[in-house]
Amino acid sequence: MPDVSEITGAMDPTWCPGCGNYNMQKALAEVLAESGMRFEDYAMVWGIGCHGNGADFYRSQGFHGLHGRALPLATGIALSNPDLKVIVNMGDGDGYGIGGNHFIHSVRRNIDMVAIYHNNQIYGLTTGQASPTSDQFMQTPSTPGGVVEEPVNPVGVAVAQGATFVARGFAGDVEHLKSLYRQALDHHGFALVDVYQPCVTWNKVNTFKWFRDRVYKLEELEGYDPTNRTMAFEKSMSTFHELTCAPDECKIPIGVFYREEESFTYQDGLPQLDRPMWKHAETPRDISKILEAY
Amino acid sequence: MPVARSVGCDPTGRGTKDTVPATIVKEAFSVPLPPRGSELRIKIGGAAGLGIKAAGQTLARSFVAAGLEVFDLTEYPSLIRGGHNTYTLRVSPRPISSHVEAVDVLIALDRQSVDAHLDEVIDGGAVIFDPEVTSTEGWLPNPRVRPVPVPLGKFAKESGGPIMANTVALGAALGLVHFPLMFLVDSLREQFAHKKPEIAEQNAAAASVGYGYVTKLAGDFWMAVEPLPGQPKRLLVDGNEAVGLGALAAGIGLYAAYPMTPASSILHFMAAHEREAGVVVKHTEDEIAAMNMVVGAAFTGTRAMCASAGGGFALMVEAFGMAGVSESAVVVGVLTRPGPATGLPTWTEQSDLRYVIHASQGEFPRVVLAPGDRTDAFELTWKAFNLADQLQTPVIILGDSYLSDNRQSVPMFDLDAVTIDRGKLVTEGDVTEHPEAVDEAGRYLRYKLTDDGVSTRVLPGVTGAIQLGNSYEHDEYGYGSAGEPADMRAAQNEKRMRKLELARTLVPPPVTFGVDVAEADVAVLCFGTTKGPVLEAMRWLEPDGVKVAVMQVVTVWPFPADEVSAFLAAAKRSVIIEGNYTGQMQGLVRERCLRDVDKTLHRYDGRPFSPEMVYAKLKEVAENA
Repeated sequence: MPDVSEITGAMDPTWCPGCGNYNMQKALAEVLAESGMRFEDYAMVWGIGCHGNGADFYRSQGFHGLHGRALPLATGIALSNPDLKVIVNMGDGDGYGIGGNHFIHSVRRNIDMVAIYHNNQIYGLTTGQASPTSDQFMQTPSTPGGVVEEPVNPVGVAVAQGATFVARGFAGDVEHLKSLYRQALDHHGFALVDVYQPCVTWNKVNTFKWFRDRVYKLEELEGYDPTNRTMAFEKSMSTFHELTCAPDECKIPIGVFYREEESFTYQDGLPQLDRPMWKHAETPRDISKILEAY
Repeated sequence: MPVARSVGCDPTGRGTKDTVPATIVKEAFSVPLPPRGSELRIKIGGAAGLGIKAAGQTLARSFVAAGLEVFDLTEYPSLIRGGHNTYTLRVSPRPISSHVEAVDVLIALDRQSVDAHLDEVIDGGAVIFDPEVTSTEGWLPNPRVRPVPVPLGKFAKESGGPIMANTVALGAALGLVHFPLMFLVDSLREQFAHKKPEIAEQNAAAASVGYGYVTKLAGDFWMAVEPLPGQPKRLLVDGNEAVGLGALAAGIGLYAAYPMTPASSILHFMAAHEREAGVVVKHTEDEIAAMNMVVGAAFTGTRAMCASAGGGFALMVEAFGMAGVSESAVVVGVLTRPGPATGLPTWTEQSDLRYVIHASQGEFPRVVLAPGDRTDAFELTWKAFNLADQLQTPVIILGDSYLSDNRQSVPMFDLDAVTIDRGKLVTEGDVTEHPEAVDEAGRYLRYKLTDDGVSTRVLPGVTGAIQLGNSYEHDEYGYGSAGEPADMRAAQNEKRMRKLELARTLVPPPVTFGVDVAEADVAVLCFGTTKGPVLEAMRWLEPDGVKVAVMQVVTVWPFPADEVSAFLAAAKRSVIIEGNYTGQMQGLVRERCLRDVDKTLHRYDGRPFSPEMVYAKLKEVAENA
């Protein structure tokens, strides 16, 4: 089985020093190494953005797709080869903005795959414009007067849309993030892990320190039941932070918001997906029976 | 090689301005071709929602079961209820390749059908109508046509319900032309086989009442259609079914699509067969998702396809380009309806030729195949999957509503001819068993630079075949950042484009029909479904002594410039017939062959070319030579 150095052994990352993506890669590589999966057992799919450059920094089989379209690309892999565990990496602009439609439909489809969102609340690779998760009133080159819209609430949307596993991580806490990744990989169904991953270059507000002052762990919250969808939805609303929010007024929960142990996945609804689908093209399919109807 | 005719600057992009207005069609009605009585043309007209198409197809099956050839044409607005629909069925004892505009028997289920289509009825033709529904004021008496009043509604109610009025009318029509009723009864039983048995029997009774009424009470009619027993089994398929059947035969494993007329019925077809055949069929959230899913499935080695109209393809284009740069073997159906934007959803055109050849930013090799009929559609679809695998690049099947929506009787598809060629593909084992695919250290080179541009494709799951498919330019391993150096970009770009040269050796060549071009009075160049009306007109011109040679460009990209040049060079008079305004194929001829044609015929009003229209044009060109 590959170890961490083999998994990350493709190229040296070019992320900015201190970028949250380093810790996210560390956490994922360590979980993959301990998972016992061979390189051949999983496929990683990437959107476009700073996170997506990670496609070059892992030695893994997969696909570096289009901006916003990682989920349908990954779905095509998952729905054509049941032997592959599919892990999707996306950004916030990538996955919640331009790819927002696919986000909603992938959640309700409950495709068996892991979807990791590198959420830095800013467009990094295109030099600092507001993203769908930027806090309201944040000033950026594309919003000099401040963002007018409410930010997207990915956890709330996913919970409301029937997601079967919804978690939020913080790139400043690798051990906690690893536990979320482990649970996501074990989940049977669509496992969404939204990770606050501060951008040290373009987002001068939501910094590592800003998050450290605010995050707390749901698993340490007395009485929190991650199998209760209503509770998860309420929690997702309470965590909707604001730019000017003081640390003690604005606590941000991380951890597993919601999980459904027994879920019916999209793949479960496809009895014909009983083998890698390329095997249907080894010889011409006999359609003579079907032709009888014509 | 003869010197090409000089090509002047043409700022309109229109080419030789020789568009024949659609009004010529009406003039052509005065010439009932082929000879009166040699075939039967029935048109059913009525409001949308009356089940006209289903009734017509039942009728079509009856004639095919009796050994006759049929071609149907369904015309309808983009509505579920209301609006005027027609179904036109052409029946002949000999092979036919298109609809015609002339009508022998008009079944007018409402007054609008009389008003809209009485002109199309040939002299001596018949109009079946229900006098309770359709008043005779203003069109009867009429010395040109034979009125056949039948109490369709009354008979339908007596048989079981007013919805069966069209079944009564079908029976009446068969009675009129002296065709045995049993074929229609069998066909009705087949149509309603999945419903309660009394439904089929009520419909059989309704047909029988209409048949008997006309036979006994309406007097004798001059036309008689006879069964042709002993004919080999033929198929009655529309173009979308033919495409779906071709994809199934080719071993498709995933089909993804978002509904859009006229492509939607491919989705229905694939979904209907997904479990028995073993295909994952996904109705996606949009066409963007469909194309991306297909690329994902191709990554795992699955034969995968999506299809839409031009509008849906517009949403697919970015991922279509990704398929190009990532060298993904995918098949995409583009079934043209008149655009731009929502355009005319239920009508036909050939205006997406240039679009599909050029779609996507950047440059990459692609193949575009344009089936001319249902047999072509089946064969080119299974071949498209082979080409996609051999070339590891996207292949488009370019059709149109005329192909998708309309049924034709065709000889049984040649299933023995279907082959699977997956090109340089490794599906199992260890990548190091394939030295041509790895570097010195045994690492897999997904995008290895090769002489023919095609790299050995080793599927994910094969031991050691770690690979990165990439929408970025990339190096031989697939890494994006390593694709940025100028020499690597140029090398990968050239590698991909070399596949276009390989494609020229693999794709189906143009097909010629009729006399040798050197002998021909007129040489016709066409692509796609224009083939049908052109071949029909070619046969009609034989008795007139006009010799026609036809070249159907089957693979429209890469454009077969050598064959087209030779054809046009040998032609006395040449004509391009294409269903668009700007002369898209003519433009390709000028660009790729540095030559032009003498005449053109365009149509862009949403309606297909009719053989009457083509006949008139070719005759005019021949006589004015």
